[in-house]
Amino acid sequence: MVSSLINSTGIFYAPKLRTNMPTTNVLPTRTPYHEFYEDGQRPRSHYALLWENIQRAGLDNLTAKAREAHLALNADGVTFTVYSEKEQGLERVWPFDIIPRIIPAGEWNILAAGLKQRIRALNLFLKDLYHDQRILRDGVIPAQLIYQGGDFRREIVGIDPPHGIYTHISGVDIIRDEQGRYLVLEDNLRTPSGVSYMIENRMLERRILPEFFERYRVKRMEHYPALLLEALRRLSPRSPNEAVIVMLTPGIYNSAYFEHTFLAKEMGIELAEGRDLVVKNNFVYLKTTRGLQQVDVLYRRLDDDFLDPLCFRPDSLVGVAGLINSWRGGHVAIVNAPGGGIADDKAVYAYVPEIIRYYLAEEPILGNVPTYLMQKDQDRERVLDDMENMVVKVVNESGGYGMLMGPSSTADERETFRNKILANPRNFIAQPVVPLSQHLCYLDGELQSRHLDLRPFIIYGEEIDVVPGGLTRVAFRKGSLVVNSSQGGGSKDTWVVESTGERPEKER
Amino acid sequence: MMLSRMADALYWMARNLERADNTARLIEINLLHLVEMEEAAFGEAQWDPLLRITGCEPLFVKANPKYGISKASVVSFLTQDPDYSNSILNSVKLARENARVVRDRISKEMWETINYLWLSSQEQLKLPLPPDRAPAFYSALRNGVARFHGMTQDTMMRGEAYGFYWLGTLIERADMTARILDVKYHILLPTVDMVGSALDYYQWVALLKSISGYEAFRRTHQAGLRPVDITEFILFSAVFPRSLLFCVQRIGFALEDICFNQPETRTCQAFRSLLALLEDNTAESVFKQGLHEFLQEMLQRIATMNQALQADCFEAYLGEAIAVPH
Repeated sequence: MVSSLINSTGIFYAPKLRTNMPTTNVLPTRTPYHEFYEDGQRPRSHYALLWENIQRAGLDNLTAKAREAHLALNADGVTFTVYSEKEQGLERVWPFDIIPRIIPAGEWNILAAGLKQRIRALNLFLKDLYHDQRILRDGVIPAQLIYQGGDFRREIVGIDPPHGIYTHISGVDIIRDEQGRYLVLEDNLRTPSGVSYMIENRMLERRILPEFFERYRVKRMEHYPALLLEALRRLSPRSPNEAVIVMLTPGIYNSAYFEHTFLAKEMGIELAEGRDLVVKNNFVYLKTTRGLQQVDVLYRRLDDDFLDPLCFRPDSLVGVAGLINSWRGGHVAIVNAPGGGIADDKAVYAYVPEIIRYYLAEEPILGNVPTYLMQKDQDRERVLDDMENMVVKVVNESGGYGMLMGPSSTADERETFRNKILANPRNFIAQPVVPLSQHLCYLDGELQSRHLDLRPFIIYGEEIDVVPGGLTRVAFRKGSLVVNSSQGGGSKDTWVVESTGERPEKER
Repeated sequence: MMLSRMADALYWMARNLERADNTARLIEINLLHLVEMEEAAFGEAQWDPLLRITGCEPLFVKANPKYGISKASVVSFLTQDPDYSNSILNSVKLARENARVVRDRISKEMWETINYLWLSSQEQLKLPLPPDRAPAFYSALRNGVARFHGMTQDTMMRGEAYGFYWLGTLIERADMTARILDVKYHILLPTVDMVGSALDYYQWVALLKSISGYEAFRRTHQAGLRPVDITEFILFSAVFPRSLLFCVQRIGFALEDICFNQPETRTCQAFRSLLALLEDNTAESVFKQGLHEFLQEMLQRIATMNQALQADCFEAYLGEAIAVPH
């Protein structure tokens, strides 16, 4: 174990860009943007300081640090659960790469402004959809697209959530195209996870590479739980000071259970399951050792479908019967509000630039990945003719499930998807394969390039806040474009830096 | 005030852990005892009491229709039978699962200790435990449980959560001690005054050792191993941490931790009746009415206490009471 990690020669070398990359998931004709190297050899200026230090200290030093990181994660029990056939979920240690991803503050500010703009527009969109539906009447989005999507919730039309906010917490997936432009790949507006790993990564990196934080003036983001608590508190129907805030989890076998306990602990709120809650006379209560205690704000980590068997899926055993009625009466706030899923539907995604223009009368700051709607005849024909070069996705799946990766697919798989698309076109979209940007990783005792994306987290409280950084997810498998931790992905700490780390002249 | 489910999980985490520990003690002592005995009654007579103490005879018979009671079958059943919910392996598993539920209520050190205990027990019990490794396994298990209690003492915040942990530990310990004494007494007691044969001597020593009380007893009773003294020690010692009186008195302290010491609650009534049984009796009066009858009454009152806790704390929401916020 130990010996395999240590490079026996200890000689440092700059890895060349791999020209003979395996063809899995990669379009050979398009060269991905490299976040670390400028021209395949020289590090970009904001990586220079880090690079010099890595070179000076050598690979053995890096190996020691990687080992330290792994041991710390193991001991802390930072795990995620992989679903398996057995009764129990398998717990795995969170895979972490010690080389940080660095984003200069100037670049970040534009990205953050784009995210805020997007979340503001999407919330106006949701409010409109569940009330007047101006956007449908004005013909900006076909009404059919909304009503045929499984995620529009007729049950909540006309309900006013506190402050008109639907998505208090979002995690938007950002990628960079070949030119290095930041593009939105997916808006995750339901119950996005990953924020605990973002914070764990930072705490770990601070321990392992402390010397760089000051030089780079890395922006802090560990205050995320405090920001979130503030946002939750202000939604309380009773005075914020006496608000009882509760996190609702599906339970210990959920893949994100570690995150649920992490956040509940950080915010000092109760972590409850559906069976710990009961609705009486339209109020929501917690079952405690002293009887029932009224709940004001429910931070749920459960999909709409399972939230309330009286309103949504009647076979849900993890929800709370009567919850939606209590919410309708304004007796409890639900975060994120039910019904938000329609706004991160992958077919609606194609219209987000239009949505921004419609509600804000502004041009979108962040672009979308070109998206073909299988509902449109023209789009569909084009995609069916060129499936080898497309990613086909189910509109309301996440976690990398239910996807066809064109370039690495077999003829049989393409045929299966073709039939599925023809049977239910509204359920699918397709996008040209974007070769995700690459970054340097230290894996198996070698510096290697891997594809990655970025999930920044956005909190909509009194204002919209984007904590500087986010979760950088890395596809640890060589050549792979799939970054999900359930499918061999890992992560890096993400530094938004005020300074590029160069020492002032006098110190040199 | 805390979530009923959390209180329930803390309580059963502790009870299951204590159950694993006590079962390990019983088997360990019985195994060592075989070695010590010169003319031993091997086989059934030696192992049958263990099944009776833990109240699992019917289950055992079902699981071992052919072979019947033997050292190997009983040890394997109590230690690692997957279908017997109180086997050591299942008790540790349940303790760890309950700990996982309350992971945000217990300290990191406690979680790591119990998690390690589960992982290592599971690893060692993958295959049937070979007899030569068995004593080492039980002793390691007891060490693991002791480490958990130590970590808890040193790192867990005092208050309601701690109260439920402590309550679970004490109730299970009192229950097991009463059962151990009851069954051993049945086999042993020829006369009140003296230990009969050499075999009896070893049996009494084994009884004391199974609750870690041999040395403590020797220090306080240098006259010898008189059954009446041993019984008095196990029932009424105010200073020995596994005696019934000691456990029950601490149950009172734990009730204060969870603020459940109001006299009108069912829990409190059950506790008072449990304590009264010990305070109103002496060794002599117990022997007069019959130790077995006394211990059965004791077990009954412990069960009542358990039911009262269930109703008052774990199912408090079933009542009409609506708690005042914070």
